[in-house]
Amino acid sequence: MSAVVEARGLVRRYLADGSSIRAVDGVDLVVEAGETVSVMGPSGCGKSTLLHLLGGLERPDAGELRLGGRRVDGFSETAWAVFRRRNVGFVFQAFHLVDELTAVENVELPALLLGVSRRAARRRAMDLLERLAVAGRAGQLPDRLSGGERQRVAVARALVNEPLVVLADEPTGNLDSRATGEILKLFAELRQAGQALLIVTHDARVASTADRLLRMRDGAIVAQTRLGSGASAAGILAGLADLGGEG
Amino acid sequence: MRSLRLAARLARGNLRRRPAQALLLLLALTIATGVLGVAASVYGSADAPWDRVWRATRGFHVSLGVYHPPDEPGNRAFVQELRRRAARLATAPGVVGAGGPWTHLYGSIAVPGGEEDLTAEIRDPGPYAVDQPLVTSGRWLGEGGGVVLESGLAATLDVGPGDTVTIQGRPVPVRGVASTVSRGRFPLSRPAQVWVTSETARQLRDLGMTEEGFELQLRLADPGDAAGFVAAHRSLEATDPSSSVISYLETWQQRRADSHSDIDILAGTLFAAGGLIAILTVATAAVLIAGRMATQVRQVGTLKAVGVTPRQIVLVLLVEHLAIAAGATLLGLGIGRLLAPRVAETSVTVLGTPEPPPLTWGRVAIVAAVAFTVVLLGTIRPALRGIRQSTLRSLVAGPRPPRRPGRLGRLAASLGLPLPGVLGLRSGWRRPGRLLVNAAGLLLGVAMIVVALALRDSLDLLSLRPAEPGHAASDAAVAVLYDQIRAVIFATAGLLLALATINAIIVATFAARDAARNHAVLRAVGATPRQTVIALVVSQLGACAVAVVVGIPLGLGLWSLMEGGDLPEVGVSTSSLLLVAVAVPVAFAAIVSVPARLLARHPVAPLLTYE
Repeated sequence: MSAVVEARGLVRRYLADGSSIRAVDGVDLVVEAGETVSVMGPSGCGKSTLLHLLGGLERPDAGELRLGGRRVDGFSETAWAVFRRRNVGFVFQAFHLVDELTAVENVELPALLLGVSRRAARRRAMDLLERLAVAGRAGQLPDRLSGGERQRVAVARALVNEPLVVLADEPTGNLDSRATGEILKLFAELRQAGQALLIVTHDARVASTADRLLRMRDGAIVAQTRLGSGASAAGILAGLADLGGEG
Repeated sequence: MRSLRLAARLARGNLRRRPAQALLLLLALTIATGVLGVAASVYGSADAPWDRVWRATRGFHVSLGVYHPPDEPGNRAFVQELRRRAARLATAPGVVGAGGPWTHLYGSIAVPGGEEDLTAEIRDPGPYAVDQPLVTSGRWLGEGGGVVLESGLAATLDVGPGDTVTIQGRPVPVRGVASTVSRGRFPLSRPAQVWVTSETARQLRDLGMTEEGFELQLRLADPGDAAGFVAAHRSLEATDPSSSVISYLETWQQRRADSHSDIDILAGTLFAAGGLIAILTVATAAVLIAGRMATQVRQVGTLKAVGVTPRQIVLVLLVEHLAIAAGATLLGLGIGRLLAPRVAETSVTVLGTPEPPPLTWGRVAIVAAVAFTVVLLGTIRPALRGIRQSTLRSLVAGPRPPRRPGRLGRLAASLGLPLPGVLGLRSGWRRPGRLLVNAAGLLLGVAMIVVALALRDSLDLLSLRPAEPGHAASDAAVAVLYDQIRAVIFATAGLLLALATINAIIVATFAARDAARNHAVLRAVGATPRQTVIALVVSQLGACAVAVVVGIPLGLGLWSLMEGGDLPEVGVSTSSLLLVAVAVPVAFAAIVSVPARLLARHPVAPLLTYE
């Protein structure tokens, strides 16, 4: 397998009350194609910031980042935007759907930006919405969707261009068990298609579906567990307890 | 009282927290109050110099003028009858002094560019009980012949005592130069005037000058009753149907009001400009105050949550903005006092140096009323919205999400427009109030540009037109006056556009702030910063389209109201209108793209957490 994500010594600092805080502190990370990696840790430990750095939504203060074999940490905003269209899918914790666009328009947006024809983009978007059981709400604006529906629309949008890597921040946080199952099934298909997946989650059941579990604290990866078929939710929860709870 | 103290404290805090917005509102208001301040100080600035000359020359309280066209001798018997009646008027009850009747001869004098109609008033050497012209250089009439020139005529010809002027084609020596209030100052008041003795008059008659009438000037025991005196002797204004003789009575107040038409026209134009600018400032104030409210909405929610009443919240808003209006009033009046003399000194009718009139409460009230009305109109809507909005909604900042997909955006998508354009149209009508206010501001600017262009074309035509016979210098002076008006209208158009630009920047800044999260999302899913800039510009272009579509016909309509009088009628060329229709949106797009570009420079993640 080839490395899709390669991060070396990633650092992101913030200034707070006049002192510098390392939100991400020298992270080294490699994610292979077709690999799913879960990231767990207490609130404020830098999980979301790491995801933002990997997707180019924030710039690292130090370190090196390669995606799909390309050095990307020096990209301009425009270069990042163009790169993200094809290679990176984001699922945000707060969904971040565009208010003025309907559910299906939100999903087809990355495809249209990539230059896919309107008809093909709409077909792809509807297909994903059907698989996530929200096709019936395709014409609704985000304001009219429930939290769970918005989350599924956000997941569909992240997948519409079949990116190299999907970066998901709490992708099942607002979903019931059945909808969570649908999403995890979709993620499993991604893995089979060779796409890499990085999931930030507090849900041990979701984390257990990954190939690897990273535990973060104070901006650093403090433990890695390779999860085979033998990994269990109970084991993961025990690991989290060692870290001092998950906030 | 406690409410007012609380309001003052909160208002002071708000002003300190957002000084840039407060300064912008102050600037917009000061543009309006400044122009009105100049107008208020220019209007009447010729009165004091006029009064000084009037007193120094023992100016008339009532004047009787009799005129008959020079090429028609008129009814001699009727003119003789008017002379007899004039003599009786000079001894009427209430009259304490009389000057004349002085006979007027009609002829022409050579001026740069041609000939000018001339009146030569025949006088004995004096002194006179009424209207003793004030000699400013040289000597008054006496032995040795020659003419005394009215000061405006001397200035136009640039001659003085010792020089010669050409009357009826013959050189005549200049004895002196004098000022009077019995005539307006040449060249805006015509015909030109000289004073001559009977001896010189005889020579001028020999050269072809003909009698055209006479003037009697009276001083009354009660100058304030001049209008009453005129009303009592209105029968003297009767005309003879069988001749072209005209006789008219005039009070000193009427003559003073008519004596400085250029100052009055300039002041009137400035008042109109100030009014237009004030209307546009309402738009600026509304946008700014609504924007300030949007940023303060959470504070309003908090205040309501802790028990501050809606009335007290309105009071805070009012105190805050009325303080700004008071500042703008003071600044506007100060600017007026400073600039008015420079504007007034361009006048050719003022008898001496113009003096801004005293700053009466009435004049202060005009400027203050405009500033306070603008602020009140701008505050009402945001204040009412702040009150009506539920406390819970107030605590959540940010624009209300749309409830229905935008039809315009759907149409654009179905037409296959580029994605950024479709996205821009989708969000264009999220804040229709702001867009309409922006459009209103821009369309006034566009209309004024069209008026200014039409005026330019008309004046260009006027300058090419040959002067009417006998009006060579006075027609040129009218052209100069129109040039000044053109400068005021161009300056007004510039100020309106400056205000419209401020509006556009404010609206675009607020729109960029509202769109920050959505645009960050767009960038997160692959839209480039440039595409988000285009989306924001397109979302604001609706205002510009409305401004161009409505503003150009409005400008043409305003111009059609202004046409007439001395101005040649012209139509604005299609190429000029096309230039406006293209240049305004391009400039507007460049302006509104600035806040969007600034926003697009930020990394995405912090914008996604911005609410």
